[in-house]
Amino acid sequence: MAKANFLVGLEIGTSKVCVVVASLRSDGALKIEGVGLAPSRGVRKGEIVDFETAGKCVHDALVDAEDKSNVEIDGVYVAITGSHLASFNNRGIITLPEEQEEIEESDLDDVRAAGREIELPKENAFMHELLQHYYVDGQEGVLNPVGMIGRRLEADFHIIHGIANRIKNSIRCVKEVGVEVEDVVFSGLAAAQVALTRNQKNLGALMIDIGGGTMEFVVYNDGVVKQSGVLAVGGDHITNDISMGLRIPMARAEKLKVDEGSVILGNCLPGDTISLKDDSGFAGKEIERETLNTIVHLRVRETFELLKKTLERANYIDYAGAGIFLTGGGSQIQGIDILAQEIFDIPAQLAKVETMAGPTAAFENPQFAVALGLIRYARENQVDRGGGWLSKISRKVPRLFGGFR
Amino acid sequence: MIDLTPKNSSGAPPDVSVRLIGIGNAGSNTIDRILLDGLEKAEAMIMNTDQQELTRSVVPNQLQLGSNVTHGLGAGGDPEMGLDAARESVEEIRAAIEDCGMVILSAGLGGGTGSGGAPVVARVAKDAGALVIVFATMPFNFEGRRRRKQAEESLEALRQIADVVICFENDRMGENVSSRAGAHQAFAAADQTISQSVRAVCGLLHKRGLVRIGFDELRSALGTLPAPAVFGFGQAEGENRAHEALEKALKSPLMDRGKLIEKAHNLLVSVSGGPDMTLAEVQVMMDALNRFVGEDTQILFGLQVDGGMGQAMSITILCALSLGGGARQLLRPQEFYTPVPPAAAEISQVETHVTEDLEPAAPEGEASPFYDEPAVDEDVVLPEAVEEPAAPTEPEEPVPAEAPETFFEEEAPSVSNVKKPSETQETLQFEPVNRGRFEKSEPTIVNGEDLDVPTFLRRNVRIK
Repeated sequence: MAKANFLVGLEIGTSKVCVVVASLRSDGALKIEGVGLAPSRGVRKGEIVDFETAGKCVHDALVDAEDKSNVEIDGVYVAITGSHLASFNNRGIITLPEEQEEIEESDLDDVRAAGREIELPKENAFMHELLQHYYVDGQEGVLNPVGMIGRRLEADFHIIHGIANRIKNSIRCVKEVGVEVEDVVFSGLAAAQVALTRNQKNLGALMIDIGGGTMEFVVYNDGVVKQSGVLAVGGDHITNDISMGLRIPMARAEKLKVDEGSVILGNCLPGDTISLKDDSGFAGKEIERETLNTIVHLRVRETFELLKKTLERANYIDYAGAGIFLTGGGSQIQGIDILAQEIFDIPAQLAKVETMAGPTAAFENPQFAVALGLIRYARENQVDRGGGWLSKISRKVPRLFGGFR
Repeated sequence: MIDLTPKNSSGAPPDVSVRLIGIGNAGSNTIDRILLDGLEKAEAMIMNTDQQELTRSVVPNQLQLGSNVTHGLGAGGDPEMGLDAARESVEEIRAAIEDCGMVILSAGLGGGTGSGGAPVVARVAKDAGALVIVFATMPFNFEGRRRRKQAEESLEALRQIADVVICFENDRMGENVSSRAGAHQAFAAADQTISQSVRAVCGLLHKRGLVRIGFDELRSALGTLPAPAVFGFGQAEGENRAHEALEKALKSPLMDRGKLIEKAHNLLVSVSGGPDMTLAEVQVMMDALNRFVGEDTQILFGLQVDGGMGQAMSITILCALSLGGGARQLLRPQEFYTPVPPAAAEISQVETHVTEDLEPAAPEGEASPFYDEPAVDEDVVLPEAVEEPAAPTEPEEPVPAEAPETFFEEEAPSVSNVKKPSETQETLQFEPVNRGRFEKSEPTIVNGEDLDVPTFLRRNVRIK
């Protein structure tokens, strides 16, 4: 099989490095060939803090993926996250030359360039500029202006940018393992590709991806991204809180969170305790269930409330007709959808990943949402960079390396 | 025609002449330091009782205070003597600050000359029509309770007189000196911090900026409220200078890594840089700073392009902690602690109140012996000010009901003034231990809260 038919998504997460290998059939269907996993070290809050260790983990995960899929990986799509990422909406405007009547394909590139004509902080680079809508001579909601007659072409973009050096660090980390980076993608955007269906995006939806060290969110209205961002609080924070509150080691706190943690309060009978087994398997410390849940609840509630405040700065969330979709490892905490619903006052549910051919375990676990989403993103990016909603996606790696902006 | 002469927007007259005066040993040391660091557009001068110290200083303009009272020796840590000495030399002081638009005083409080003399000099300057900014340092804790008390009393007197009082805690300034460093280094660090802030304030008021900060802004940022000042200064060069400068400013000893800024109502920020400073850099800097700032905080922003800066960029952050819980208002001198109905307390109006405040002080039985000094000083120095002590206004005297003397007495010697927003004190205490796993990572600060600290700790929820 030709190499080009394999798509590989790589997420260097705070808790794990995850590689998904998929094959793209000629009819556009994806089949998952294998998933490689390695526990992640040297990553905090979604960003690499120990280059060497992180590199080793990436290597392990890639080797694991190659083993499982029997595919030799040479190019990957890398997910990027971290609190340095920021986004805003911007409009690009161009006026067509006098002698030209019809809007041509090249004008779309021009208006995209115009949309990017905005001063970013010096050390930042563009990651994505996602097309929202075209306007031709002020006419709204034009989907594809090519061929239309007009003087003035405008386009709204959702621009995601981040600190160039930090993005480059992720790229370098992968490159040093000996694998090419095809593109870098904002994790939240990748996760949304699998967490939300086309229909949900059209209806309007908020996707929250709760990862190990960060929480990404993306708001869709009318099928396009209106708002996105990262909050550097994730599952690790919950674990850390438990570890400190109950005075138990991180590893045990993590297990306790996964096995027993819940955000629902008032559901436990007084005296309902969990006994922690010590290393030798004997019953050790007794922990009040309500105490554990209180710690988790407070953290999750606070995080959602912060997110709500952020979202309320723009009112896109009001148009999220399809509701809230939670994904990522952190979404597995019991009752988190109920709490989200309570805080945002919008129906919330755990995202269901659309089936793809391949081992079901791969897509049933929300932990893989980002890596899977990268595959989806990659498919759209590869197959078609022209019209339709696919044109939202553009190449940026060359830009990252050859002169920013 | 268009009038091209620069008009001044602030309270200070256009070509305001600034006199920088150090009083006492600590004050002289600071001025020495400032002169060594370089200072434009201000004339420095020191006043001291101790002849020896005067000769040791590099400052050319010197004035010996009270040669008859102290016979050229120091004031011996006795503010009374400092006061007497200053009083004796009132005429010389007045001559020294004649037709000055602005007087910047630097004094180490707690000793004799500084504590006793500074209020006199401030008053003389004030009466001469100058704007008075006082940079005061509070003694180290190890200098003992008595000195502390003297310092606080003197500080209060200064607050009544001066337009702006910026108060530094020596303890806090010594904090970032390594524990193995000699004591002299701790003092040097303190001097340096003050030197930086004096120069920054001078710079603020003098340099023409793209966005200018005037005296009015300085005053609203700092006022004379009995609140400790928070000051941060950072300068950096190179590619990432915006971030580095801010980082340095936040690391300034009084800043507490930016956590205290959130408590401020008004935050004065001045950014300056060479001609190649870009707007984007300023934006980056301010965005980063904004993460630390509370939602209601007003930022008074100044921007200057200064050819002398070369490739460097600097940021100066100055504010007084807000008096959120009212706790800070307790820091009133004891003499106000009289059975007077609490009225709308507005402390910052200095002028007329001063005299009234100070006047009743003397007869007050329980007043500390020190407190009649400013009053006496009033009598001697400014006869015309004394006429005002209108009896009718006295009952209105601001008496914060919650100003128990005990608070003042007990807290003051041990707790640093700067770090006092009582509501958050607990969080601050916890902070060093409780970021746990995130100890070494970049803190996640949203609305001034460090999200790496467990929520239940920040919310003070009890966990069994």
